[in-house]
Amino acid sequence: MLDVRDVVTAYGKIEALKGVTLSVAEGRITCLLGPNGAGKTTLMYSIAGILKPRRGRIALKDREITGRAPDQVVQAGVALVPENRLVFPQMSVRENLTAGAYLRRDRAGIAADMERMFQRFPRLKEREGQLAGTLSGGEQQMLSVARALMSRPRLLLMDEPSLGLAPLVVEEIFRIVTELNRDGTTIFLVEQNAHMALKVAHHFYLMEQGRVSFSGTPGEVEEAEVIQRAYLGSRRAD
Amino acid sequence: MAHDLAQNTVDGLMTGSAYAMLALGFTLIFGVMRRLNLSYGPSIMIGAYLGTLVHLQFGMGAAVVALVTVLGAVAAGFYVERLCFAPMRGQAATASMVASFAIWMQLEELATLLLPRHSYPFPALIARPPFEIAGILIRADRLLTLGAAIAAMLALWLLVHRSRFGLALRATARDRATARHLGIDVDRIGLIAFLGASALGGLAGMLVIAADQQITPMFGMWATFKGLVAMMLGGLGSIPGAVIGGLLLGVVEAHGQWFFGPQLRDLLVYALLFLCLVLRAGIGAGVPSAERRI
Repeated sequence: MLDVRDVVTAYGKIEALKGVTLSVAEGRITCLLGPNGAGKTTLMYSIAGILKPRRGRIALKDREITGRAPDQVVQAGVALVPENRLVFPQMSVRENLTAGAYLRRDRAGIAADMERMFQRFPRLKEREGQLAGTLSGGEQQMLSVARALMSRPRLLLMDEPSLGLAPLVVEEIFRIVTELNRDGTTIFLVEQNAHMALKVAHHFYLMEQGRVSFSGTPGEVEEAEVIQRAYLGSRRAD
Repeated sequence: MAHDLAQNTVDGLMTGSAYAMLALGFTLIFGVMRRLNLSYGPSIMIGAYLGTLVHLQFGMGAAVVALVTVLGAVAAGFYVERLCFAPMRGQAATASMVASFAIWMQLEELATLLLPRHSYPFPALIARPPFEIAGILIRADRLLTLGAAIAAMLALWLLVHRSRFGLALRATARDRATARHLGIDVDRIGLIAFLGASALGGLAGMLVIAADQQITPMFGMWATFKGLVAMMLGGLGSIPGAVIGGLLLGVVEAHGQWFFGPQLRDLLVYALLFLCLVLRAGIGAGVPSAERRI
């Protein structure tokens, strides 16, 4: 579904991504783990078109999207659930969802999808007219996910959806991730919470200092080993 | 005395409605971009000079002149946006403001060099004597300005709060980065808001100049100041605030002029503005200003 080849993205002279290669399989949950500052969010932004890679190639189903503007990437079928949720606090829940469907023109389809979101997230339905800023952290995260889904993405990028949420809410968010995936959405997930991420992911990558240092499937490696590598640094000889 | 107060208040509301429209244009730019366009008034002046030009050269009537004025203001606004705002997006807002000050000077010089006479005639929209309601004298063209201001405010409010474009506008005003994530072309939204503001300013300027029936190079500065003061009185970046600020400015000016004369009138206005800024309130008080974007 998503193919990232040798992508280099830099902030001025500092290369945050030093040649990242990975792929996300259609219909799967792929997870990207790694310590703070490894370049995970930079990779998300590079895919979403917020940052332009200096080198390399990003393709969505054989269609190249490298360096495209964010609106073209959304149009191509990629939606981002940003870190810290970033709902519009001064807009109602409904307006936030409408904003997610900004590039769509099919009114009937948008209305139908809105109802679908309210079915999936009944709490949002209860708070339909409420300002998003008054929602709890977990509800804001659901709104952020629902808002991204309103663009009808083929690939959903999620940047640290569990950040700052209570354990029970984190469980719920991951349950939603699994459900969405079961319903056919391909998910590429960045997480700090390796334990939860490894529970839901079909495949994972480990990123350190702007490079992919390890990849595997959760079953074949010990969780402790992955966490050791992700947060305490790998023990590679090179 | 009571009659004077009533007459002054009505006059003030009429003049204030033009200030309100100027402030609405400012608010549209400031609300979305958090940037101040000091060239706002001078671009309106350019439009008005173009209007006066077609009036003098081709003997066009008020309707054509009005249209040319608004379109001219939009064209000048486009020039300012490309030069001062488009290249500096996401960077220091002060740079845009200072650049727009430079363009102000440039536009003003241009007007004085190309059209050396100090004032030029501008056709009146409605040339009939004032009428009287309950002893209060009312000028028809001022009444038209008031009506236009109310219509502009309602239209703008509906546009901002009830349309797809308005949603994108508010999203951009609130959080540029997130708006981009959702596929909103924030640069385009900014440009459209800027041109819309220029059109609104052009309309306001045209109504004022048509009522005065003359245009001078001082108009640019006048429009920038009045719009800015009205917007600040209304508490920066809120649509109802801009209208209330404009009307308040008009009423205070009218009373000040009547009771204390023109010099003290302006002093009174600045004292009021000072008070508003010191109290850090504006009229839409109670909400921190960052929460009140558009």
